[in-house]
Amino acid sequence: MRAFSFSNRDIRWLAVWLSGLAAVALWDGLFLNRPALALVVEGFLNTVVIALLVLVFTLAYGWATTLCLHFFQTRSRHAPLLIATFILNVIRSIPQVVGVLIGYVLIAQLTGAGALSRNAVVFPLMAAIMSLFIFLEMVDLMRERIAHFRKLDFYSAMLVCGIKESRIVNFDILWKNSRTHILNKLISVFGMAVFLQCSVDFVISVGLSTDVSPVDLPVTLGSLLAKIDSKQDILAIGHALTHPDYVGHLFFTHLQGLTVAFLIVFTLMCMYFISNGFSERHRL
Amino acid sequence: MNEPLFQIRIASGGRTLVTVDDFAFAHNGITFLFGESGIGKSLISKAVYGLIDPGELSVSVNGRPYHEHLNDPWTRALKLNSFFVFQEPSSHLNPLMTIAAQIREGSLEKCASEQEILKTLWQASGEGAAGRILDIFPKPYRPSGGEKQRVLLAMAFKKIDILLQSPSAGAQTLFVFDEPTGSLDNAYRNLFLKMLLEKYRSRPFTILIITHDYSIISEVYRSHRDLAPRVRFSELSRKGPDGQVTCHAFSPEQYLTWLERARAETRAAGERGAALEFGSQFTVFARPMRLFADAAHMHPADLLIRRGEMAYVKAPSGVGKTTLAKIVMGLVRPERVSMRIEGVELNEKTPLAVWQKHVWGKRAGMVFQHADEALNVQARVREIFRGLPLRNRLGRDGVRANLGLLFDTEITDAFLAKRIGYLSGGQKQRLNLLRTLALDTALLILDEPLNGLDFDTTTRVLDALEKKRRAGSALLMISHNEEIFDALVEQSSVYYLAEQTPKAG
Repeated sequence: MRAFSFSNRDIRWLAVWLSGLAAVALWDGLFLNRPALALVVEGFLNTVVIALLVLVFTLAYGWATTLCLHFFQTRSRHAPLLIATFILNVIRSIPQVVGVLIGYVLIAQLTGAGALSRNAVVFPLMAAIMSLFIFLEMVDLMRERIAHFRKLDFYSAMLVCGIKESRIVNFDILWKNSRTHILNKLISVFGMAVFLQCSVDFVISVGLSTDVSPVDLPVTLGSLLAKIDSKQDILAIGHALTHPDYVGHLFFTHLQGLTVAFLIVFTLMCMYFISNGFSERHRL
Repeated sequence: MNEPLFQIRIASGGRTLVTVDDFAFAHNGITFLFGESGIGKSLISKAVYGLIDPGELSVSVNGRPYHEHLNDPWTRALKLNSFFVFQEPSSHLNPLMTIAAQIREGSLEKCASEQEILKTLWQASGEGAAGRILDIFPKPYRPSGGEKQRVLLAMAFKKIDILLQSPSAGAQTLFVFDEPTGSLDNAYRNLFLKMLLEKYRSRPFTILIITHDYSIISEVYRSHRDLAPRVRFSELSRKGPDGQVTCHAFSPEQYLTWLERARAETRAAGERGAALEFGSQFTVFARPMRLFADAAHMHPADLLIRRGEMAYVKAPSGVGKTTLAKIVMGLVRPERVSMRIEGVELNEKTPLAVWQKHVWGKRAGMVFQHADEALNVQARVREIFRGLPLRNRLGRDGVRANLGLLFDTEITDAFLAKRIGYLSGGQKQRLNLLRTLALDTALLILDEPLNGLDFDTTTRVLDALEKKRRAGSALLMISHNEEIFDALVEQSSVYYLAEQTPKAG
């Protein structure tokens, strides 16, 4: 159980994150009006669910792409390797926010046209699109790990014993020797997914295009932040800076915007420290 | 001989690394300490010498905390007239000082016999004087492993000469040589022993030599028999879990008798099919190489191993024995080669896929030299046979039975669940061997199969190899344990590998 000891920085920050969320939930439960509270809860849960789905897609895309590239490379399939590398480089050249934005516009239009109606379809689609612009980081990590182990006798020693290359790569290298590295990357990906989602939802919600209606997309922390109520709440923070006697009101009358902003910033900060602590604990 | 006795416990973060209650070495005598790799020979010796950082490890010596041992007058006096040659020479050398500055550092400056020592240590190599490396820094110029080892031995010999020139007879001394000839061949090992024991004859001092090389016993009895009464052979053995070891006397007769018996046995292979036919000439890394049937490199010979035969390839360190093994297994692509593995023709143009489809695990298998690098250290012991192309999948009992071939202790569930990285070097080497021995292939290549093993395990490994041979596998051995394999392999199956020079060719 030493892995879950609070002396580990990542576990400590995970506890801080969960405690922070619990404290905010308690405070909002007491002082935020019911409709706003429902929106915040829905937005937060949607954001977390989509970010978790992004982890699944990133892992799946990353693992599958890594295997394809590895086998093209080891079996000297030059043409498929060249094509795959070209496609990946094209994806790499697109800024993540821009890529996700275009994908979301597509989803919003499909939703608006009635092609996508249920969250059970929209969420995975949103996550799948977002993962498309994140998974290359996973590919880079996995390929780096495979390249490292291929240089060691370990890889050749198993091969000459007749152990299948797919088993060596999947089980011995990626699972047995790289899962902590992969998990650490996934923690960062979670933070990245929250950030991208909030950025893109915010951009869409404040009005990127007249063709896209933010109403067609699920509520997330990003879209909540763009709502007029939240904007006013955020402006109130600025007001409180010049009128300190107003600070008290922030925690009672401007809770929606403050909560949304806090949840985004606090989550990103905690993910950063959890990831750093995890790397430190596992000496990555 | 008066023998100091030590009870030592070394732990790290609550985990006991090694505990011994009866560690001893002969005062003013010569002690050879054997034991499998990773059992704690170096750690215990460093603890006695006072070299362990108390901030890194928790150590107690004779029931006292380590700082008391470090401040003990005995330990302080010992360090004045002693030297410790580390197993890994790189860890001894300061990369920011030239080799010359290091071999003259501190009290070593007082030694007048430096030139003579260097000349003796370097002459046998045929490389000329040591002067070439004296003015360089260990990094980035990187002397070879053998050169670094000789530098350390030169430092130790200088320290011995200073001791011998001093009038303080009866001083507390301890000269520890941790695998002093690990990077050197047998000729150098013998030269080192000769130099050391000549100095010892002029005035006895305490010598502790840590080694895995049991053939050193023969050399002591062959060339230094007069010192036999002053020599003690000890062995560290595992006594229980959690690093409990015991230090007991090792009978040299045990090794010498075993060797005689091995020499006397005949190992006829009968008329079986060839498992490996490898052309006598090949070129790799732009070096033309050649195999010979004799040490004088007069008679080139194709390497031919029939099923049920054991062949042995000899060459000095660095010539390319391991490269030859990797060429056979298709892991190194030579510029020119011709071979046949159980009927499958292979040459420099054969695609790797052919080895993958027809050779690896099917016709041939190979044990790599360094178990630490050849095994997945994150895997569990029970997973060692997984993925092998075996006829029947091994269940838990099958795994136990296979492990039982080389592990004499009971194979507990806890051991099966242990991560390979937490095993000692000797245990890893046994797993490394067992993984390949489990295969049913015509050819097995074993690169330094006896690395890091104690004598009992060595004999078990050789018995297991003999069983494989009798069952019809062809064995190609690459090892620096010349004495052992010379005894085990028929002279007609010993091959000599050399780079082809105009004279040799």
